[in-house]
Amino acid sequence: MAVPNGTAEAPIEVSALPTVVGINFGNSYASIAEGSADCIANEDGERQIACAVAFLGEEMYIGNQAKHQLVKNSQNTITGFRNLLGKKFSEIPKDKPTASAPVIQHPEQADEPAYKVQILQAAPTPLPTTASNTPAASQTATPRSEPTPAERILTVSEVTSIFLRSLIQSAEDFLGKKVQGAVISVPAWFSEAQRAALEKAAADAGINVLQLLEEAGAAIVTSISNASAQDISADRTQLIVDLGASALELSLVSVRQGLAHSLATLSEPGVGGDAIDDKLIKFFAKEFTKKTKTPLAVAPASDVQDRRAEAKLRLAIEHTKRTISASPGAATCSVESLKDGLDYTGSINRMRFDMEVRSVYESVYTKVKELVAAAGLDLYDIDEVVYIGGSASLPGLDEHLAQGFAESVVTPFTSGTVVGGGEGDPTTILSRGCAFQAKLLAQLAEETEEEREVKRAFAYGSKWQQAKTTTKTIGMLFPEEGAEGPLGGQWIPVVLRETAVSARRTVAFEVDLGESEEKKLGFEIWEAKEGVRIEKIKPPKDEDEEADEEEEEEEIEVKEKVVGKEALLASLTLVAKEASKKNGRWSTKLEVQFVVDSDGKLDVTAWEVGKAGRGEQATVTVSSA
Amino acid sequence: MASVVQLPVVPPCLPASWSSAEPTAKSVSPLVERRLLPAGAAYLAHVKRAVHNLTFEEHDK
Ligand SMILES: Nc1ncnc2c1ncn2[C@@H]1O[C@H](COP(=O)(O)OP(=O)(O)OP(=O)(O)O)[C@@H](O)[C@H]1O
Ligand SMILES: [Mg+2]
Repeated sequence: MAVPNGTAEAPIEVSALPTVVGINFGNSYASIAEGSADCIANEDGERQIACAVAFLGEEMYIGNQAKHQLVKNSQNTITGFRNLLGKKFSEIPKDKPTASAPVIQHPEQADEPAYKVQILQAAPTPLPTTASNTPAASQTATPRSEPTPAERILTVSEVTSIFLRSLIQSAEDFLGKKVQGAVISVPAWFSEAQRAALEKAAADAGINVLQLLEEAGAAIVTSISNASAQDISADRTQLIVDLGASALELSLVSVRQGLAHSLATLSEPGVGGDAIDDKLIKFFAKEFTKKTKTPLAVAPASDVQDRRAEAKLRLAIEHTKRTISASPGAATCSVESLKDGLDYTGSINRMRFDMEVRSVYESVYTKVKELVAAAGLDLYDIDEVVYIGGSASLPGLDEHLAQGFAESVVTPFTSGTVVGGGEGDPTTILSRGCAFQAKLLAQLAEETEEEREVKRAFAYGSKWQQAKTTTKTIGMLFPEEGAEGPLGGQWIPVVLRETAVSARRTVAFEVDLGESEEKKLGFEIWEAKEGVRIEKIKPPKDEDEEADEEEEEEEIEVKEKVVGKEALLASLTLVAKEASKKNGRWSTKLEVQFVVDSDGKLDVTAWEVGKAGRGEQATVTVSSA
Repeated sequence: MASVVQLPVVPPCLPASWSSAEPTAKSVSPLVERRLLPAGAAYLAHVKRAVHNLTFEEHDK
């Protein structure tokens, strides 16, 4: 049918939403994503942008270009500044050798860390000649005088501002729009002073900070927005493994329909990409010596030549590691004039690589076990593993950790979302989560006092982040004649332990009512006792293998999740009115809703769902303690 | 609207002998204090309900 002219239907939506971005600001690398959560490359095509600022003559370099200055211009190359934000000079340990510009006491500001770099100051440009210059004395411009060497002092805050400004500039160039707000990720251990310092540096860079978001929070936002997350229960326990350059950060998180809280966290400095690099450059240095008969000792290197070779190798293996992550084949490492003018090209395959860095994987595994034990849980209680950080891109790590988890555990590697910058890509997960969050915050209204209060609930330390959670799983038990196991019937968990209240869960399912015309329906509401049973069994004897007779037969551990009854809270009965008969048996569709309020009062409501919708309801209340 | 999770289970019919027993506990186990991660739409919904003091039904509307 033809639509008459002049209808005002479906007007073209003019997006009133502000342009916002998410920034992952690591100590080694940063990345930036836009509102629809795609990662943005800077003008050099980089998505992982090194947190480095270098000065060479009149030029200033930012990102990976700056990082390359570490070989020949390390004194004027600044790295590692994020972790110094909000710190006093006296608080910074001075015993660590640095491969970049040293941190100094600011010449004027008391106890302020700073950097001193050598630059060339452009000489003032001569005054432009005007067209009306009379008489035309000379057409040749006054020669521009030589730039003069100078010293520049930059505070940590200033360096951060320069760096963040360049990230925003890249985003603005890409989007063709001004960026009006940003969510920036911060480590969980960032203190109030560090947060304040970052906020100030961002403000100085002209950035409107919508929130400083904890890294675990950013990762969760991405992981629950994933399409592939639909296959896994909305109530789950996540292990977040963040393996960056200098440290390992672990958190165990209870995610309940998108609402999350941390159960335990752990930080382990010294486990990460830098440790992997140490192993790898030693491997290549050895290969180089084997090939060229030229001695080369790295990590640590003692003389100037070896130190420079080490710096070159460190830069080169960034590419090697990325290749190893991306494909199982061999990855190369090429360095021009590595030592004594000799070029070097070597290669390593994934198997060899995993062997070389196995001790790093093993450290991660040990720490994971420690974390889970500290939370009073078992590795089998983990439903999903989420990876953050460049070094977590290595498939060998996931394979190494897999030995401890239940077979059903979901990881981005098993679901295939790491490769090609998919949803599970550990190098983009933080900036994407921050971008999602920025979009969410940008849409909040601020008209009423209550709306402003909602917005403030995202700020650091807001009281609304305080919540109470359940400690035992609450569910339904449908008793069964002669049922196997300790429960004596069909168990349906509904409100899992570690669920923040108030909480509501609604489940629907078919119930068998038997052959009798009574059509009676009932169930018990229990708190459950949950655990993991570990059994040691001897593996079945292999008849064909008589060889290793003398070897002690190793027992293998078999684990199984178990549920038992803890306490009966109530029971509920109703008579089915909407049942239908099939093959002589009655059945009906039941919907049950559990609501736990903020004091711990539990309301359970059940109703049949018939052709006309929800039927009469039966309710039981368990009062709060 | 509350999201209803469809479960792929069919609980068995009640044993003829079953009668609802007396509860062994008066209330659910004591709650513990935790800190929520201020992230995502679920946190926003949680705070909205709390700040505006709404029940789940009121918040659904
Ligand atoms: N695809 C990859 N495969 C393996 N390693 C990678 C890959 N991409 C980056 N890396 C390594 O990951 C590390 C950087 O990780 P990330 O960006 O998470 O660090 P960060 O959080 O900024 O640093 P830090 O841990 O020091 O705070 C570097 O060692 C880098 O070489
Ligand atoms: Mg990091």
